[in-house]
Amino acid sequence: MTADQVARTPTARPTKPARSPWVPLSLLIFLGLTWAAASEELGIGFDIGELIGNFTRGFPFLADFWSPNWAFLPQTYEPMLETLRMSIIAAAIGCSVALPISFLASRVTTPNLAVYLADRGILNVVRAIPDILYALIFVAALGIGALPGILALVLFNIGVVVKLLSETVDGVDPGPIEAANAAGGNRTQAVRWAVLPQVLPNYVAYSLYVFELNIRASAVIGIVGAGGIGRLITTERRFFNYDNLSVILIEIFVFVFLIELISISLRRRLV
Amino acid sequence: MTAATADARPTRPSRAKRNLALLGTALLVGWAVFTIDVEIERLADLPGGLALIFHNMFIEDGLDWSSLGDGLLLMLESIQIAWLGTIIGAILSLPLGFFGAKNITSGTVSNIVRQVLNAIRAIPEIIVAAIVFIPMVGLGPYAGTLAIGVHSIGTLGKLSAEVIEGIDPGPVEAARAAGGRSLQVQRWGVLPQVMPEIIAFWLYRFEINVRASAILGVVGAGGIGESLQQALIFGRYPRAGMLILVVIVATILVDVVSGWARRRIIEGSGAKGGSGEPIEEPDFAVAGAGKADTTGIGAADGDGGPA
Repeated sequence: MTADQVARTPTARPTKPARSPWVPLSLLIFLGLTWAAASEELGIGFDIGELIGNFTRGFPFLADFWSPNWAFLPQTYEPMLETLRMSIIAAAIGCSVALPISFLASRVTTPNLAVYLADRGILNVVRAIPDILYALIFVAALGIGALPGILALVLFNIGVVVKLLSETVDGVDPGPIEAANAAGGNRTQAVRWAVLPQVLPNYVAYSLYVFELNIRASAVIGIVGAGGIGRLITTERRFFNYDNLSVILIEIFVFVFLIELISISLRRRLV
Repeated sequence: MTAATADARPTRPSRAKRNLALLGTALLVGWAVFTIDVEIERLADLPGGLALIFHNMFIEDGLDWSSLGDGLLLMLESIQIAWLGTIIGAILSLPLGFFGAKNITSGTVSNIVRQVLNAIRAIPEIIVAAIVFIPMVGLGPYAGTLAIGVHSIGTLGKLSAEVIEGIDPGPVEAARAAGGRSLQVQRWGVLPQVMPEIIAFWLYRFEINVRASAILGVVGAGGIGESLQQALIFGRYPRAGMLILVVIVATILVDVVSGWARRRIIEGSGAKGGSGEPIEEPDFAVAGAGKADTTGIGAADGDGGPA
């Protein structure tokens, strides 16, 4: 019997494992949701035919894209510099504020459950609000300009850095903390001498990373009046100056690319 | 000699480099602070201004329940934009992921594909919507959907390529040895290995896209953003407050449901129990100190990923 089985098994095709009922069920949910979202009555009325039919409508604009108006370039310097300044200031403030908050958002450094949960809860709300929405609110409170833009970026940066850094803190080696406790250090001292040195390279890397994000984000928040290069995009778009828009986009692109290059090489040295 | 060294306190490593970096950073921040053109005294109005807005939004007349139905419908439209946009991105990014993986195509092809994906990623979706798709298909959710779809191709393509590069070559060799043609090798040797992780990325991208689609309305590309902006500009604060609450609650709910599905997919596949959050910056994945390999810089893209 057993010998027979062993002999037979290699040639017989193994039976297929039973399919999980989850697969067809989730497929059904997926198709239903997609159909509803694409339909005219329940959703947004997604129609491939419309896209193909109207594809050429964008061509006159896009044609301007291929002939950038370089004479416009000097006019972009000042807003672009403003974007750079806003990004630097926001990253500096946001990352400084985020450091202590990150320690409160990890169980390793904050054993107090109530404090930890409160911090996490606030963090989830802060992160659920998109950066443009912050910009809209601050513009409503302060009027247009770079100041509401910086404030919006600061909140956005706190959300990103605290999430990344608190997860790094979660993963630190507990050895040094035990050593600090054994040597009689209190919690602040343990955080300062046992946790901070472990996460510092990551912290600096995250700071550089949010600075990069800020350059891109400030191109967007300018659309709602929060300063920087985005302001220029709004005005040029309103007048359909696609040859000028092309210059702005190329400039943002080169700028983002250069900063990414510098930032990546710096980060590589750090971690 | 040796005994003396053991007793002596070790010399401190040089801090010149660190100090230089600190000095450079300080100079840069100083330059930005002193040259930026802001009326810093306006900052004094901030607490008052915010308190007033908060008061007008939630306290003066209580919550504006009459805007709730409206807000829910508009947020539903935003979520639909994100959903369809993610599907467009997912479908188109999968083949690009294969072409962008060095172990599937030649180095030249994968490099070109990667650069194209990077270029797509560099421009925020809201700008793509405003200057490419609104002129093409007009104002409305359709333009927003296409913009989100295009932007998602960039991020998802890059992530898929990275996952594909990390596969176990064994099944591929087995498929080839069994006489599989090139396409069959991809289908049976590569795809089953990478699908759980890639589907998790799709869901994760959906969570990020919900945040993006909530604000696309600012340029007229559909969703809740336009009504929210109008309410804030025209001082209809109770309505704005209710719409903001809808955005926050809906975003967190989508995160919870999608996050649960992601974990279910990753763990159900028997793969390592990750959360399915991508490490979008390859440098963190490669060079990241061991303790930080779970950072999941998925927030990448400037749209602040889900918590």
